[in-house]
Amino acid sequence: MFKNYIKIALRNLWKNRTFTVLNVVGLTAAFGVAILLAMYAVFQLSFDRFHEHGDALYMVYSEDSTPNGVEANISKSEPFAAALKDEVAGVEKITRYVSTGVLLSQEDKQFGMSTAYVDPDFFNMFSFPIIKGDKTNPIASESSVVMTELATKRIFGDEEPIGQTVSILRDEQQVPFTVTAIVKDSPNTSSMGFDIVLNFKSQNEHAYARTIGRWDMENHEVYMQLAESVQPKQFEKSTTDFTQLHYKNEIDNAKRDGFQPNTDGLYRQLKLLPLADVRFANFNQGPVTVSRTMPYLVLGISTLILFIACVNFINMSIAKSAQRLREIGMRKTLGANKKQLFFQFWGESILVFLISIGLGILLAVFLLPYFQTLFKTQASLATLLNPSLLLVLILSVLLITLIAGGYPALLMSRLGTLQSLKGKLDVNGKNHLRNSLMVLQFGIAILLISGTLVLWDQVEFMRTKDLGFNKDQVIAFPLNGQLNDQQAIELLRNTLQDKPNIVSVTASNNILGLGKDGSRSTSVLGFEHQGRGVETHMVVVDADYIETLDLNIIEGRSFRKNLASDSLSVIINEAMAKQLNEDDILASQIDLDDAVYSVVGVIKDFNFQELDQNIAPMTLFALPNWNLRNAYVKVSSQNLEQAYTDVKAAWNTIEPNAEFQGSFLNENIDRTLRHERTMITMIGSGSILAIILSCIGLFAMSLLIVAQRKKEIGVRKIVGASVSAITILLTKDFLKLVVIAFLIASPIAWWAMHNWLQNYAYRIELNIWMFLGAGGIAVVIAMLTIAVKTIKAATSNPVESLRTE
Amino acid sequence: MQNILVSLNEATRTVNSGSNKVTLLDNINFNVEEGEFISLMGPSGSGKSTLLNCIGMLDNFTGGGYTFLGEPVHSMKEKNRSKLYKEYIGFVFQAYHLIDELTVYENIETPLLYKNVKSSERKAMVADMLDRFNIVGKKDLFPIQLSGGQQQLVGIARALIGQPKLILADEPTGNLNSKQSEEIMELFAQLNKEGVTIIQATHSESNAAYGSRIINLLDGKIV
Repeated sequence: MFKNYIKIALRNLWKNRTFTVLNVVGLTAAFGVAILLAMYAVFQLSFDRFHEHGDALYMVYSEDSTPNGVEANISKSEPFAAALKDEVAGVEKITRYVSTGVLLSQEDKQFGMSTAYVDPDFFNMFSFPIIKGDKTNPIASESSVVMTELATKRIFGDEEPIGQTVSILRDEQQVPFTVTAIVKDSPNTSSMGFDIVLNFKSQNEHAYARTIGRWDMENHEVYMQLAESVQPKQFEKSTTDFTQLHYKNEIDNAKRDGFQPNTDGLYRQLKLLPLADVRFANFNQGPVTVSRTMPYLVLGISTLILFIACVNFINMSIAKSAQRLREIGMRKTLGANKKQLFFQFWGESILVFLISIGLGILLAVFLLPYFQTLFKTQASLATLLNPSLLLVLILSVLLITLIAGGYPALLMSRLGTLQSLKGKLDVNGKNHLRNSLMVLQFGIAILLISGTLVLWDQVEFMRTKDLGFNKDQVIAFPLNGQLNDQQAIELLRNTLQDKPNIVSVTASNNILGLGKDGSRSTSVLGFEHQGRGVETHMVVVDADYIETLDLNIIEGRSFRKNLASDSLSVIINEAMAKQLNEDDILASQIDLDDAVYSVVGVIKDFNFQELDQNIAPMTLFALPNWNLRNAYVKVSSQNLEQAYTDVKAAWNTIEPNAEFQGSFLNENIDRTLRHERTMITMIGSGSILAIILSCIGLFAMSLLIVAQRKKEIGVRKIVGASVSAITILLTKDFLKLVVIAFLIASPIAWWAMHNWLQNYAYRIELNIWMFLGAGGIAVVIAMLTIAVKTIKAATSNPVESLRTE
Repeated sequence: MQNILVSLNEATRTVNSGSNKVTLLDNINFNVEEGEFISLMGPSGSGKSTLLNCIGMLDNFTGGGYTFLGEPVHSMKEKNRSKLYKEYIGFVFQAYHLIDELTVYENIETPLLYKNVKSSERKAMVADMLDRFNIVGKKDLFPIQLSGGQQQLVGIARALIGQPKLILADEPTGNLNSKQSEEIMELFAQLNKEGVTIIQATHSESNAAYGSRIINLLDGKIV
């Protein structure tokens, strides 16, 4: 029996080769892409889930009342962690955490190492297993260093690393550290990435020693492990006294200045964020919001694509069943019951699905390297090889096969014996289903296309927007060498000053956009002004900063060439001026604890942060001997490439051991749009695939419809219908479906894109053309797809089509 | 005393065509005894095929009684009915209705598959049948490769493989030339001699003459 089924299934598939190929191609593409997308989404969702105590691990942050409303603050002060553990019940373990880069030397070799500075509890909380060396407390000492396997290999090769000494550049001195343990390389689903781990106290003076005992200097994150018996909400409540005690000043000031308290009526509240949520949390806009939209969106796209391919399969199977009516009738007469027929037809579907899934997996394997490069992800198919996930996958494949293959099979097995023997099929009911499925298909395609268009528009808008500074002619790079920043800049100026294509050189402690090294920092300063609390971003700059970036001074002056004479001057942006609210802004002063600074100039607002945020108040300082971190070089607009090479060469002579990580500021801006670009590529390729698959379905349907209406076409031609009349007759039914799909999908797309754009402070206006464009694309492609078949049918000789009867 | 195979008592079939009630079969009364060879005659639309389909349980009478081998078919459930016809009835069609995707051998074998006959037994039975109809050499051909007469031969072989008590043949020679027709009718006469009960519907006087009894139908009534 089974052999018989297989045999007839294969023969049937072969007989309907065209449809089999269309189905297999469509399903293969859909399964292949769905596997890749699901893999990507699962990979994203599985971040930081490998920690054994993961469920009890939290990041500690606070909700602070500020002039701009409640803001999330993840930075904590040096005494905070220890005090919290001592004073509030429920803290099982706690660690401070700073992630940064250091320069490590071993013998005469130098290595840039990404580094985590943590407290000793770190290794007991997080699952970064130690495979060699001191397994209990490897960073108890301030001169211990723990390395990953990979870092060990880079530094020592095959030598025994434990007990070796390396030196790390700190406060311009080489400080020796002893290797005490080797940890396993962290899984690629870890947000915490490091090459080496050091004791928190091993940080430089600026980051640690200077901050000891000070509650007002917040510069690191804090993670804690909650005791098993305590609920996070309960813990958050129990920290009220702790906050009242240690942040009394801040709370009183917030009350005095009339700031909005948070939803619990508190001006400062400690909160816990589950470790697995940290990666998906947004700390930039008011209270923390955790959003896993992106991975779920990707999962959604993969589901939609599978759905479209399955719709093709269902439609084709049902339409084709008309050709198999006699077989069905005959089998029933010969004694087949419904169940047997159902299993026969379902079996055929399963065969097609098995082939497609097999090919789909091959396709996914083949496309994986390209996928990984395109989306800069380390997700691999191994991500999906987890038993429970595999079970879910297998079940969903079974479910898809059951529905997509089972529904047509059910319809066929239910047909009446005599009707099917006579070849009569009541088609009215099924056309409704077919039509609604096709409307859905095209609706999805149009939704995805318009999404792509809007996204692309927004990204182009952000990329090309005038940000208020010169981004085309300025190269920025991190000062990542051994010299101190002032020396390095001095040398750079000297080296470059004779070059005709170099306009000016400066430095600052922040970076515009996102540099090649991927590191960023912000300093926010809070102080009192005229009896109110005021907050400003603090940017420390070198001479010529304003000139190099072409910032516009609207009042007052720029910093003098002789920067030392301006060490007590500040220049503020418009937003800051507005906040200070002075009649004569140039006569105003700001009073920080250590000194009083005079405002000497006001610059026009420029977008020093990303475009999802409004321009915040900002103050430029010209402090001497400050950590500057990034150099900016303005070059003349001719031959930018040559200028880049010159700057690179100059840096290489100054710091021969450091890597030059320079890029033009417009590239930096581009880098901040990576997330959006990934989304465009995902949704864009999804929409292309969706429209292709929908058209495969449409093409198959046009084949079948033309075949079914062959006689009608012949008769119409004999009674005098023209070729165009017949083409229109055949095309209009399908076009109607696409138009309905457009009418349904556009409002949904509008609503979705409108919501998405709310994430950006600077955004494009939605206009009707984006949606009409998407609809137009769908209509044109659909027309082209069916044109071939319908025109051929319309021009064929009617005698031929009538002879078959 | 011959067994009564089929007994129709006031059997009627009406269908609704729009708002009109159309009577296809009107109070049919007759018995078929085992071993008979009955020819149903009548012009197109007289109800021959409908009567055959109803007797073959592919269709139902809408009124009256139908007893098959003493069992009341009219009050049976669909499942038991299909069990009954699977067991006792074989069909032969004017258009042969062979399954295009199956070979001669597989076409003949199919009813046995649905009866869950064991593989070895199946082989023997199909081989017998191929022998008996002299089509061993054609067993691996597909229907499309056979002449009409040969296809009908396969159709009859398929109807017989389940060893039915009753063969229902609806215009079995309608698509065949006279020589092929004659061969097929000879075959039916031969089968009837071997004990198979046959009811055929036909237009042709000469074909009808092969039967042991002729029933004439006109507008759904026996005349």
